[in-house]
Amino acid sequence: MAEILFYVLSAIALASAAGVVLAKSPMMSVLSLLGSFFCLAVIYLLAGFQFLAAAQILVYAGAILVLFLFVIMLLNLGDMGAVAERSNALLEGTAAKLGAVLALGIGIVGLVAASRAAFRPVEVEPGKGLDDLNALALQLFGRYSLPFEAASILLLSTMVAVIALAKRQRKTDRGGGKA
Amino acid sequence: MSPQVLEIVVWVIKVHVIFVAMTAVAALTTLAERKVSAWMQYRHGPNRVGPQGILQPLADGVKFIFKESLVPDGANKWMFRIAPALAAMPAMLTVAVIPFGPDVTLFGVTTPFSITDLDVGVMYILAIGGLSVYGVIVGGWASNSKYSLLGSLRASAQMVSYELSLILAILAVVAVSGTLDLREVVMQQKTLGQWNIFYQPVAFVLFLIAAFAETNRHPFDFAECEPELVSGFHTEYSAMRFALFALGEYCAMIVMSSLAVTLWFGGFSVPFMPEAHWAIGIAAFCAKVTFFLFLFLWVRWTLPRFRFDQLMNLGWKVMLPIALVNLFLTGAVISYAPQLKALWPQVAAVWNGGR
Repeated sequence: MAEILFYVLSAIALASAAGVVLAKSPMMSVLSLLGSFFCLAVIYLLAGFQFLAAAQILVYAGAILVLFLFVIMLLNLGDMGAVAERSNALLEGTAAKLGAVLALGIGIVGLVAASRAAFRPVEVEPGKGLDDLNALALQLFGRYSLPFEAASILLLSTMVAVIALAKRQRKTDRGGGKA
Repeated sequence: MSPQVLEIVVWVIKVHVIFVAMTAVAALTTLAERKVSAWMQYRHGPNRVGPQGILQPLADGVKFIFKESLVPDGANKWMFRIAPALAAMPAMLTVAVIPFGPDVTLFGVTTPFSITDLDVGVMYILAIGGLSVYGVIVGGWASNSKYSLLGSLRASAQMVSYELSLILAILAVVAVSGTLDLREVVMQQKTLGQWNIFYQPVAFVLFLIAAFAETNRHPFDFAECEPELVSGFHTEYSAMRFALFALGEYCAMIVMSSLAVTLWFGGFSVPFMPEAHWAIGIAAFCAKVTFFLFLFLWVRWTLPRFRFDQLMNLGWKVMLPIALVNLFLTGAVISYAPQLKALWPQVAAVWNGGR
């Protein structure tokens, strides 16, 4: 039963992930991504990781994708289909996108393999899964606190950099207007 | 009946009882909204359908079903159609983990009165509840109307901003309780003195304000804001699709009220009656939730609407810092409470010796 569910969910997750790249409208891309995240969350549940599943939906579906939607709505990109159909750009675009996705996928697999070689997997007490919140917190804020904090600093510095770049752009714009 | 079959039967019954009760209460809340507003404005309110207008929601429902459901010309048809479902679904899903009552014994079968008790119930509610913003965004975007788009932009900005304070306020209670299981949180508040409202009053006020913003209710209902935006993201919706948006809003109110009761006001526990019968427990829970639902209506018909920039300032510059400091202090007190307790006799000795 669980095995069948796993394969069905994986198929849906992969199909909607493909939909993200292939969809003509950016809104559809985001909604496909949402579907993909949901299937992943349920797969986590099947594996017994309740916390991870909830965190997946809370962080990715509830926060990050909403920001994507925001940007899309504010930019009002509309339907990209019309642009693509003009030349044979649709096919070329698809090939480029698929290539990029493949490259990224291979990169991620490589990264996972490298990090598995670098870090030993978390030891879990017998009878207690990684899902036990205390165990998870102890691992995250104890043994892995340094990588954890490093990741958050990385994110923070990215954010600061983006804001700095955006601000600089606006300042030169204003200056140009005055001159 | 074998135990497995019995379990499934009990589970199906529970799902239906809770879901039907939820929908019925949501419908009755729409009536209560109109009645309360009428009383506050010295009117009668709906009183034609049934005694005291009690059947009005039923009449409204029939009307919604038979009205024509329009889809605007330039709208994205598919997304326009799924948006109401996206709006109504999260609130209904979150009901699954709310503990409405203690263990119920009926016909010799004992079962906890909630659809399921997740170990990560609080996380589940926050995760699924956070999805309600999709209905608003997709609905407003797919309508292809400027009022809808502006309304949905405002609503989603507001919901995302206040979600932070909401989560941080709830986390403070979770830190005090030391568990994410909602039933466990209730079990720790058996007597009046153990209610979390006495330990986390600041978090409760933050939660209440954020809950009003999350459900897009007055004084934060910028999603609708009739004078500026006609009626915001659901301007273009009619008939049952419009009703689904309303249903989602009222279900979200019920969930928020239940959450406030569960986390701060002892859930189904009854003050001074720690060993009360389960029926009394459920009644106590309903009474507490009713009070909070009334509070939602009371505020709506009493306070004027804020301005949008005031709302954003309040959310980011006032509530978020307070919530962060509150959580930090809670964590500090919990971590260092044993040391402080051990230190206390020495402090007292110095104090007494100094006299």
